[in-house]
Amino acid sequence: MRVERKGKMLARILYNLLQAAVVVGFAPLVEGVAARLKEIVQSKRGPSIFQPYRDLRKLLHKDEIVSEYSSWIFRAAPYVAFAAPIFVALLIPVLTRYPLFFAFMGDMLGGGFVLALGGFFTTLAAVDTANPYGPMGASRTRMVGFLAEPVFIVVFLTVSFVAGSTIPYIVQTRWVSPPSNFFEPSHVLLMIAFFMLILAEDGRLPVDSPAGTFELAMIDRSKSLEFSGRGAALMKWAGAMKFFVLVTIFLNVLVTPWGLAQGMGAGEVLLAIPLVLFKMLLFVLVLVVIESSLAKLRLFRITEFLGAAFVISVVAMITRLSAI
Amino acid sequence: MALLLILLAPLAAAGFALLPLDRRAAPLATLAAALIVLGLALSVAAAATGGRVEAFGGALSCDGLGALVLVLVAFVGSTAALYSWGYIGHRPESAGGTRLYYCLYNLFILSMVAVPIVSNLALVWVAVELTTLISAFLVGFDGTPEALEAAWKYVVLTTLGAVVALLGFLILYWGSQLEGAAPFTWAGLVAAAPHMPPALLWPAFLFILVGFGTKVGLVPMHTWLPDAHSQAPASICALLSGVETTTALYVILRLFPVLGAAPWLDARPWYLGLGLLSVAIAALLLVFVRDFKRLFAYSTVEHMGIILFAAGIGGADAHLGALYQIAAHSIAKSFCFFAAGLAAMAMGTQEIAAVRGLARSAPLPAAALIAGALAIAGAPPFAVFVGEFLILKGGLAAGDYVTIGLFAGFIVLGFCAILFHVNRMVFGGGSERARPAAPLSCRAGLALAAIPLFVIGIYVPPALFALLRAAAGALGS
Amino acid sequence: MGGAIFALDALAGALFLLAALGVVATRQVLASLQLFIVQSLLLAASALLLGGADRSPHLLAVAAITVLTKALLIPWLLRRMVPSEVYRMREVERVLNIPSALLASAVLIVVAYAVADPLAAAAPAPFIRINLPLGIAAMFLGGLTIAVRREAVPQLLGLLGIENGVFFAAVAITPNLPLIAELAAAADVPVIALVVGMLTRAIHARLGTTAVGELSVLREE
Repeated sequence: MRVERKGKMLARILYNLLQAAVVVGFAPLVEGVAARLKEIVQSKRGPSIFQPYRDLRKLLHKDEIVSEYSSWIFRAAPYVAFAAPIFVALLIPVLTRYPLFFAFMGDMLGGGFVLALGGFFTTLAAVDTANPYGPMGASRTRMVGFLAEPVFIVVFLTVSFVAGSTIPYIVQTRWVSPPSNFFEPSHVLLMIAFFMLILAEDGRLPVDSPAGTFELAMIDRSKSLEFSGRGAALMKWAGAMKFFVLVTIFLNVLVTPWGLAQGMGAGEVLLAIPLVLFKMLLFVLVLVVIESSLAKLRLFRITEFLGAAFVISVVAMITRLSAI
Repeated sequence: MALLLILLAPLAAAGFALLPLDRRAAPLATLAAALIVLGLALSVAAAATGGRVEAFGGALSCDGLGALVLVLVAFVGSTAALYSWGYIGHRPESAGGTRLYYCLYNLFILSMVAVPIVSNLALVWVAVELTTLISAFLVGFDGTPEALEAAWKYVVLTTLGAVVALLGFLILYWGSQLEGAAPFTWAGLVAAAPHMPPALLWPAFLFILVGFGTKVGLVPMHTWLPDAHSQAPASICALLSGVETTTALYVILRLFPVLGAAPWLDARPWYLGLGLLSVAIAALLLVFVRDFKRLFAYSTVEHMGIILFAAGIGGADAHLGALYQIAAHSIAKSFCFFAAGLAAMAMGTQEIAAVRGLARSAPLPAAALIAGALAIAGAPPFAVFVGEFLILKGGLAAGDYVTIGLFAGFIVLGFCAILFHVNRMVFGGGSERARPAAPLSCRAGLALAAIPLFVIGIYVPPALFALLRAAAGALGS
Repeated sequence: MGGAIFALDALAGALFLLAALGVVATRQVLASLQLFIVQSLLLAASALLLGGADRSPHLLAVAAITVLTKALLIPWLLRRMVPSEVYRMREVERVLNIPSALLASAVLIVVAYAVADPLAAAAPAPFIRINLPLGIAAMFLGGLTIAVRREAVPQLLGLLGIENGVFFAAVAITPNLPLIAELAAAADVPVIALVVGMLTRAIHARLGTTAVGELSVLREE
């Protein structure tokens, strides 16, 4: 009996660490697949889907050059940015439907704060350099960030109010409880609003162009311009992981818990990995189609984009709270 | 049968007016149709004074209140048709344009007479909506930028109001069908009202009041009215101000007995408040107005407010006064616009400041303008004065001293403002240049409209009085 | 089965409201027209769903009429009557900028729910809880469109959007309106579009622009 319980606890810890490993390991793969798919949609060949791994390996072997006028923030930022999504990955349902060992360490609000911590350090690091594009990108990212905050808060509020809790695992069980809830107006609208939020937070079209190299037009990418060698590798990896984590929250908590392991068996949990990755592939497909059909918005039109996301999430909240 | 002919005559004239015949064919056909409608309306009114008139198994029906509105529409339609002949003929209008005018004119009359005689409320709504749509091009007939702007605001704002009112009607239908199938007519609603939950009746009433209140020109939904009623040709202005707003107000007044049948609801404060607000704002705006057709348009807003206020006071005297005011306003306002049209034609401008000494330059329009202004402002011995007197009497009997006091004050303000402006225009030094004489048919139309104007204030024919009493009965006093 | 129809109707309603928000917020005139078509199709879908659930032929007729008039006839009329250069326009100047207009829309949606709540409670019928508040909200949003947009065609689409909202509520609260009334009200809509379209053409011909929100020659002293 005691052995069983100890075994269960051990399994939970293991699965939790496995979750974090999945996030760290597969994040560059998702980026690679997204880039390749976008090129295919445009009738080009595109780079190999493992290219981000090769880029990371190349960067890790290079020398790091750090300006002597920068402070400890610049040196610490890549590590903080890398650690933040891993921490959040411990809190959210990535592979399993039931709460794991670290699940109650923080709720969605806490997870949001941790991700924001990573972004905070990155922004400060961008200002820390003498590169003129750094602070410019940092201020623009802040603008997008504060406009996206209300959307996140309204989504979080609605979902938690309905589920009666702020822990992602519990929200996930109660939010889409009868599967017919999928078509509920509040559900559909929240999905749309959160999708727009992902587009904004991750620097995808129509908010920002991830493939662009023109620094004057960059919003998100300009923060990592000054890093080299190991710092650059960590920043790149951190960006990919943040995207992975946000998409996981979207898919596993808001959309549907399909594919997540129900039981404690190791086989089930390992099976969940390809299923979750398959879900992500579908999401990336939709994302790529949308990105390829939109043009980048002018900077001040981003307020309209995020304003629309906010109103959609408010409407979702109203529809759900009026108990329809 | 008479009811059906009332609908068919203008329809036939509309079709006829489109035929490419002699220049005088369309106006003559229109005038003929209008006179036929007038005759039929008078006969229907005589019958309705005794009870309801029904036709086609209840598809068309008319009672006292409806008959009053019907007669007024027919009368103003006839005088305006006569006036149009000279007014439109006098302008450099193409033959096609004139034909279009008369076709639309007849369709406009058709839509307005349909409102009091159709039974099904959904069709009543459609008729009111059609009055807007058909008159849209009549309002913008001049084709100037101001006229087009006025037409745009007119159509968009009134249709907006009408669609909001549609929701109110649908809620009423929903409520009336809750206890079992009931006919969707005014009588059916009055019968079903005690069973309707107040949560349904109240929002429906508000939607209809606000929605059709936009069409009537009540404040604060009146912004389109001064523009539309001043930019249209004078004959159309007479129809718009004289009877079109009255038909919309008729629908609102019809709601009153429906609400009265549900005794736990009190609509009186709404009628009183909205009416008083309209009178007040209109009186204030009358002081600052700069165009004399706009002057008469604001006066329309004021009078619509007066009628609504009177309906709200309640009691036999006030209701009789309200209905009397409806008749008096239609007759006087159309006369005023005829006079204003002649004055504008003589002086070539609509600005008050540009017109001086009209008495010397164009004596007939000047005299008509003074008479009309006195009539509409409420001077004795004209009919409007009698109506307002009855309302005041009813109000004092009901004991609403404060509201009556405010009401009287604003009426006096409006009176002074109107007469101040008209006096400045008519008297005072002006040029002695001979102005072209007004066309004969315009003068004939003016004269025809003047007869009831002078008569009704002093002597109310017993038939008319009986009709008014019957109408007041329908209002539920 | 009933649950599925209920959920699909709710989905149609949510997308209907989104389309109404889109008409308030889009800059391009052509996009407004396309969103209006989408809105009308969703109205027809709701009527179809409710007609299937109640097995009421009235509602199926309403759905058919809606598709015919609002999704096909009116866009065709508008494209014919209003000069095509109007459709390529984008509004640069607005009375209220887009985020503020969207916030005002959110407030209006809350008000619509507040208005509809006592009505739905007074006479409960199956689909009223969805259709009535969303219909009233679409009505308010149409009114906001007229107030906020400056171009003629979006103002007309706002007006027709109000009508869409009223009908969206009507398919739930009055499913058995006599057919003559339905036909009359349905015939009214193309007439509105015709009249306003012709007026727009006249304004464009005379003034060279269709920015009717900026016409303010007639104003008080």
